[in-house]
Amino acid sequence: MAAPGVTGGSPGAGAPAQGAPYAVELRGITKRFPGVVANRNIELRVRRGEVHAIVGENGAGKSTLMKTLYGMHRPDEGTILLDGREVTFRSPADAIDAGIGMVHQHFMLADNFTVLENIVLGSEPTRGGRLDLAEGRRRIREISERYALDLDPDELVEHLGVGDRQRVEIAKVLYRGATTLILDEPTAVLVPQEVDELFGNLAELKREGLTVIFISHKLDEVRKVADSITVIRRGTTVGEVDPKTTTARQLAEMMVGSELPSPETRTSTVRDTVVLELRGVTVSTPGGRPAVDHVDLTVREGEVVGIAGVEGNGQAELVDAVMGLRPLAAGSVLVGDQDITAWSTRARREAGFGFIPEDRHRQGMLLEGTLWENRILGHQTRPPAAKGWFIDRTAARADTERIMKDYDVRAPGPDTLALALSGGNQQKLIVGREMESKPRLLVAAHPTRGVDVGAQAAIWELLKDARAEGMAILLISADLDELIGLSDTLHVMLRGRLVGTLDPASCTPEQLGGHMTGAHGTAGAA
Amino acid sequence: MNALRRLGPALLAPVLAVVVALVISSAVMAALAVNPFDVFSVMLNFGDSPSQQVTAMVVIVNRAIPLFLAGLAVAIAFRMGLFNIGVEGQYRLATIVAAAVGAAVSLPAPLHIGLIIVVAMVVAAFWAGIVAVLKVTRGVSEVISSIMLNFIALGTASYLLTGPFRGSPEGASIIATADIPPSGQMPGLNGIFDVFGLANPPRQLYGFLLVAAVVGILIAVLLNRTRFGFDLKASGMSPSAASASGVNARSMVIKTMLLSGAVAGLIGLPDLLGNTHSYTTDFTAGLGFLGIAVALLGRNKPLGIALAALLFAFLDRSLVPLQIADYPSSVVTIVQGTIVLAVVVANEIARRVARRSAAGGSAAPAGGPTAGDGSTGVVPTPPPGSTDQRQGAQA
Ligand SMILES: Nc1ncnc2c1ncn2[C@@H]1O[C@H](COP(=O)(O)OP(=O)(O)OP(=O)(O)O)[C@@H](O)[C@H]1O
Ligand SMILES: [Mg+2]
Repeated sequence: MAAPGVTGGSPGAGAPAQGAPYAVELRGITKRFPGVVANRNIELRVRRGEVHAIVGENGAGKSTLMKTLYGMHRPDEGTILLDGREVTFRSPADAIDAGIGMVHQHFMLADNFTVLENIVLGSEPTRGGRLDLAEGRRRIREISERYALDLDPDELVEHLGVGDRQRVEIAKVLYRGATTLILDEPTAVLVPQEVDELFGNLAELKREGLTVIFISHKLDEVRKVADSITVIRRGTTVGEVDPKTTTARQLAEMMVGSELPSPETRTSTVRDTVVLELRGVTVSTPGGRPAVDHVDLTVREGEVVGIAGVEGNGQAELVDAVMGLRPLAAGSVLVGDQDITAWSTRARREAGFGFIPEDRHRQGMLLEGTLWENRILGHQTRPPAAKGWFIDRTAARADTERIMKDYDVRAPGPDTLALALSGGNQQKLIVGREMESKPRLLVAAHPTRGVDVGAQAAIWELLKDARAEGMAILLISADLDELIGLSDTLHVMLRGRLVGTLDPASCTPEQLGGHMTGAHGTAGAA
Repeated sequence: MNALRRLGPALLAPVLAVVVALVISSAVMAALAVNPFDVFSVMLNFGDSPSQQVTAMVVIVNRAIPLFLAGLAVAIAFRMGLFNIGVEGQYRLATIVAAAVGAAVSLPAPLHIGLIIVVAMVVAAFWAGIVAVLKVTRGVSEVISSIMLNFIALGTASYLLTGPFRGSPEGASIIATADIPPSGQMPGLNGIFDVFGLANPPRQLYGFLLVAAVVGILIAVLLNRTRFGFDLKASGMSPSAASASGVNARSMVIKTMLLSGAVAGLIGLPDLLGNTHSYTTDFTAGLGFLGIAVALLGRNKPLGIALAALLFAFLDRSLVPLQIADYPSSVVTIVQGTIVLAVVVANEIARRVARRSAAGGSAAPAGGPTAGDGSTGVVPTPPPGSTDQRQGAQA
């Protein structure tokens, strides 16, 4: 399995060539959860001042390893060395004291607080026992300047886009004096322009001598930004590779042993029957500003309609409007020629709407629930979940096991709690349950967010097959390759409006990116 | 093994709470120069003769029935993250109206009792429904409105008692509604003592025990086995995910509060139907608040609530013997109070222990009331520094 560029599964212990000890060294880390070994004998060596990437398929144990390093739980075996000294962390507070900071995959900012308040929360600057916000503001400005983070301390977080929020998270970690930053899937929610900005920030951090460890499923990206890459498979280290001499294809093979997927669609399967039609749909925010502004849209049987846009331009509100989760300020929603504007979410679900939400933790899962409960979530009024007024637990469990097998959800069983699953496996369960209900219309927001390349290919394949069988799909995604590759029709959304329609057959990700930020004006036939 | 693993975390917190409460109250008693072991032995002493012992048990069970119903009423709302603090007002108002209606009519026995039960449930459900309507139409917090409605209910109850529903003669020391005729009185269950060859105590074991058992089973089935129960549980775990799955949050709030209120309406009936047969100025008060403690201790599960109700009833029974033995009866109040505090603390500790053994804090939901039952014993808290892990998608 040794791919070119592998420097050996277990390089000799000790220091790198220059003689200085590693900034972070994990030796023989093993971490068990009931029924699973999440990490087995993992070796990780990170030099000071480098950007070190960790790649591996869903459930490989990446997040678990990083949580160990961040003191969120203790390893069952193995040691952690920082600058050559062995350390034991009892809590993240210990890790922070040792200069380790972590930005989690799911943001943890309070929306109604300012940037300043969010950053100082938990380590408030005081003078004479009183909160000293001026000092906090000064330090944030300093950090922002030094690492080119471009933050305004007094801006409310709810007004910020995802890219900005992420920089706030990074600033929060730097504010606490971190010299080693862990970023868990930082790019999953970003569009390409924002990814470039983030990588600019990382380069800045590196120049200042900080160490960055980051997890990603986007292999091209990893090769572009990382100085070295550690590959993990099924809980154990496969080896460390040099990004300069390794191709994305070789990386993918090391991870999963499968080829890099491409979302290229085959021939068009668009039929005439209209499934979903939006007429002048307008959704207003509490402030009165329209989040979705007079959107007209048609999705036909066998058609994938893609919506491209920088996150926060109304896509989430549009999806909510289609699913009946938000009232319309104006306009109507039609299925066939029936006006369903006033229908409840349940009525829409029962009429054959499938839904893969953008934020799986908020709208897609009961984290404290079991997998079978999550299997029936959203389908609790139909078989196999329901038998009349009752829940059919036996059938639900059996069907959950089937979905776990068919969709490669790696977990001990249907009674496992959803929060014990890795992010990608949670996503696979959601995709599985929605696809298995054979919807007429699938509203898919970021369907492959957080899944590894192998699973991504599988989900793309599923969507294509379903489309060929006549399923109508409304696709929202931040992954431009996915949008271009899957869509039959591609709309660009900017500030709540559909500002352009592109031909997915002829446009490149670069062009699409330009339209999304408004740089290209409103070209194309709207 | 599997059962043990499932039950472990569920049992850990309540047992821990009771132990901690005993330790703390012993310390308090010691500080008051009372020997805690003497107090506990008085509490555990059920009397010498078999008749006395059976009587003590009857007293405990009779007291446990309303506590169980109160805990159940609170727990139903708790499961979906609603705090029904208004159980107290709901059952008091329901009981006086039911007592008055029961005294005013004369029907064949089963119908008569049935009517009283239905009236009590409807009145209490109505009162709880006000809370729900205020919440879904005006966004009023159910905690605030139900506390306010408690005052109004208690005031209304005493107005009704001294005014239109008064049945006792002018100048009587205790004001009461008119007595419910025998057809509306529920017979006791003392027959079973003869069956088991036990001494038949002078006290009647409330026939309402059977009603409470049936209600407990029905609620358990409803919560755990039906679509409604699933929607309720989902709403408690994650309101946003529940709405996305098609649960109508508003109608869910209304249905849940009506159900919680209907069960609350039953709380006063064991005493009314089995013992007092009228509502008086000194009718048992405070059951609604004790119900909150019982539901907490029982982790919102019917079986747990039954055990918690028995424990609280046991503590209540010892009030009289303690006074006879010349110990301050506030000892019992202290034990009950510390149990409530300890439950809250112990739930948190058990949660951390469970988290250490299972969850690495991955994907922890934001704080807030952790409704849900004991089977979800693993409820991780967000790691330090986090304020909200749910990404604000509306932003
Ligand atoms: N709290 C937990 N309890 C039980 N098992 C867990 C827990 N957390 C993780 N696991 C298991 O450990 C394994 C590794 O999970 P981890 O979250 O580290 O994966 P990952 O590499 O980050 O995957 P992804 O790319 O999908 O995020 C998985 O099999 C997962 O089910
Ligand atoms: Mg992960």
